[in-house]
Amino acid sequence: MNSFAVKRLIPVLLLGAVYVGYVIYPLTETLRESVNIGGAFSVANYINILSPGNSANFEALWNSIVVSILSVLFSGILGTFLAFVLTQFTFPLQRLLTGLAVLPIALPPLVGVIAFLFAFGESGILPRIAQEVSGMNGNVFALEGFSAIVAVHTYSFYVYFYLFVSTTLRQLDAAQLEAAQTLGSTTLRTLRAVVLPELKPALLGAAILTFMASMASFSAPLLFGGDMRFMTLQIYNAKLNGELDVAASHSVVLAAVSITFYILLKIVTPRTSGVRRSKGTGRSGLISLPIPVRRVLIACCIALLALELLPIAIIILISFAKEGSWTWQILPAAYTSENYHKLFADPHVFDPIINSSLMSLVAVTACILVGVSISYLLVKGSLRRVRHIGDVLATLSFAIPGTVIALSLILAFNSPGIFTAQTVLVGTFWILPLAYFIRMFPFVVRSTSASLDQLDDSLLEAGESFGAGSFRRFRKIVLPGILPGIVAGALLVIITAIGEFVSSVLLYTYSNRPISVEILAQMRTYNFGAAAAYSVFLLILVMVLSVLAGLVGREEKSHPSPVNI
Amino acid sequence: MRTQSRRLKWKEPEFRSLAAVIACTLYFAVLLVPVGGCSTDTGKRKLVVYSPHGKEMLSAFEKQFEARYPDVDVQWLDMGSQDVYDRVRTEKVNPQADIWWGAPLTTFAKAEAESLLEQYTPSWAEFVEAEMKSHAGFWYGTFATPEVIMYNNRLVHEEEAPRDWDDLLHPKWRNKIIIRNPVASGTMRVIFSAIIQREAARTGDPDAGFAWLRRLDANTKTYAADPTQLYLKIAREEGLVSLWNLPDVVLQKETNGYPFGWNIPVSGTPLITDCIAIVRGTKNRADAELFYEFVTSRDAMIQQASEFFRIPARTDILRDDLPDWIRSLNFVTMKLNWQEIEAQERAWMRKWDEEVKGKGISH
Repeated sequence: MNSFAVKRLIPVLLLGAVYVGYVIYPLTETLRESVNIGGAFSVANYINILSPGNSANFEALWNSIVVSILSVLFSGILGTFLAFVLTQFTFPLQRLLTGLAVLPIALPPLVGVIAFLFAFGESGILPRIAQEVSGMNGNVFALEGFSAIVAVHTYSFYVYFYLFVSTTLRQLDAAQLEAAQTLGSTTLRTLRAVVLPELKPALLGAAILTFMASMASFSAPLLFGGDMRFMTLQIYNAKLNGELDVAASHSVVLAAVSITFYILLKIVTPRTSGVRRSKGTGRSGLISLPIPVRRVLIACCIALLALELLPIAIIILISFAKEGSWTWQILPAAYTSENYHKLFADPHVFDPIINSSLMSLVAVTACILVGVSISYLLVKGSLRRVRHIGDVLATLSFAIPGTVIALSLILAFNSPGIFTAQTVLVGTFWILPLAYFIRMFPFVVRSTSASLDQLDDSLLEAGESFGAGSFRRFRKIVLPGILPGIVAGALLVIITAIGEFVSSVLLYTYSNRPISVEILAQMRTYNFGAAAAYSVFLLILVMVLSVLAGLVGREEKSHPSPVNI
Repeated sequence: MRTQSRRLKWKEPEFRSLAAVIACTLYFAVLLVPVGGCSTDTGKRKLVVYSPHGKEMLSAFEKQFEARYPDVDVQWLDMGSQDVYDRVRTEKVNPQADIWWGAPLTTFAKAEAESLLEQYTPSWAEFVEAEMKSHAGFWYGTFATPEVIMYNNRLVHEEEAPRDWDDLLHPKWRNKIIIRNPVASGTMRVIFSAIIQREAARTGDPDAGFAWLRRLDANTKTYAADPTQLYLKIAREEGLVSLWNLPDVVLQKETNGYPFGWNIPVSGTPLITDCIAIVRGTKNRADAELFYEFVTSRDAMIQQASEFFRIPARTDILRDDLPDWIRSLNFVTMKLNWQEIEAQERAWMRKWDEEVKGKGISH
């Protein structure tokens, strides 16, 4: 083998080692643990989980799937509706509303669930108001159990549908629609025959992202689940009960379901380059509807988006409530700014914020290094021919729920190994950034690949013919072109990592406890005000970062984060 | 070609990304400035405490200890006692905690069997009854905690409130009971185990306990994720009755003014010995011992009794030293086989989780 080939092989091998060491190896450890019962090989756990009938574990699998399907359904309806109204009609405040429509993605999962609890839970503000107004003795309505979880998921995940569908609608070919309507097609018929087929990839993509995120959801079942069983809770409970083999087999099943759906996404979704420019002037006004109907639709849209602000408003309200001043009353009885004073006065109270920022910084650095390299190799480099497989592999860790990643890391790295330089990672600062990295580097791969796809190969060839080395070509030609893509992906990593809860809660130590875990700890010890104040701070942080991401990412067609609730 | 790409560089999208990079860098710079001179590296020795005893009590003793030993920075993580156990087990190879303060003795006995603890004989070791300490000196009882039936006393009158375990099965409490997720709670694990044992002894049928729990499940409205959710749901009248430990109920009632009342079951209640131990592999053994002695001293015990409603396990603390509410306590202790609970608890909780939770039937 000549030195040129060796030089090309080194980065591939390095990345391969990273992938095997931190994605494949922990998962195989989980698989091994799941069939190791009392030191002997047994598939009893799987038989238990997968046998229908009276098995509680099958019930957990079933509940997770049903909740996920319902979440897809409702998110799909809401997201598509908002996308239609906001792209097809023109009305005042449209820009503001368009911004509001993507807001839930900036709400860290745990904060969202807590907000829902206080807004719509059985003793939440809205049910209490409804009770007061109607004069009824019992509850008029309240979100609990199944309906609450589906509602929280819908609130968080409709954004996928909204983003995907509105992108497609904006790129729709107006000439085609005009032709249909000139030929006498009714609006409904045009929608069905022309628009729907065009929307299919967007709807499928969003559906499967939503499905995966719902399967992986943890905070919503934890706080709303009550006596119902869900896969992620079974993993958590089995681990708490000291049954690692049971936790591992649940993890394997949960990961398998998610990955199956991810692969379905790859097979079912028609491959599009993502660059589909409309020939007409297009955009809004593709579909003609009578003015009263329009007005009703626009009013619905505004009402829905206003409702969306409610949980956030409530979190802010509670952050000013005096501790212990709110039991049976509709609203807190006394207000104070003490929660914020505490937040900024006590250096220990500030620690989790620093921890989360530091860890997301470490994670994002690793994500950029690995993500950009992988993406470059797959799109322009030596792995170009196996790009399809590479894409699937790179995105695999993104299809694995956070709970499963955390458990695999515990199983794989609680003894010294070659991938950890002979140290134990469990119980150290580094295990959390590692978990974030594993789950989130696909964001960078995706957004960078999108930019690289737009980069003309002839530029690179020209550079080569001028005698520039590969590093110089990368620095002078590639990097400037893909910088927006990298930054968009990196900001997405930071946003998601800074509010991450699902794997954090299983892996944190005192030295690296993140904001989300601190919020839960404050809740546990009955300090709602402090919990809410932290949540508000986290919210502001994430929103600032989202605005930055929005600034950069506007031109990029990168997938939004599949945030785990 | 190269000049063309260079000219493009500062155009729109690139310029915006650069702005974002600068903003982010500024954010992290501002944020990380305090890290340099901040609390974490003050040259103090760190002592990490894992405990379910709650923020109030933990921060009070953190402050007092640090005032006495200014070289030590006490850091505590508050979580359920089963969480502490799980965490200490997970971190076995790389221990993070020095002291584990608080969990039922059954949990500590299991931890001892799994080599998670270090031996230490406190200065007051002789003042604890034999069944409240480890034979080999791995853990010692600090508090004796009776379990109670708590209720919302704004809506439930004292005379209506359930007085005994079996009263909880009455149809009038259907959908009125809220229970803290028992799998994650040391307190609830002991209460459920005690009931399983009591029913098995009473009927001679090992499954009788689960039948009883199924009837309780039928009356249970929901399982709360953590103690806060439990207090919240009872205080905010989502449910009216729960099973919980006496100190926490009194603490919430007294310090936060929540509308909680409680009855100690008349037929007898499990008396949980809450213990303390040094975590195996502690990097700070000397300070761990100091802290151990500090929070279990006579004065500390009396303070814990009067301010945080804990009942001391030490026999050398006289009734006269204790607050009124403890002196007036009068209850029957349920006779239990703790060895059996320690050995069976895990299997029982799994069976409960798989066969009882959410599947309760009323008889």
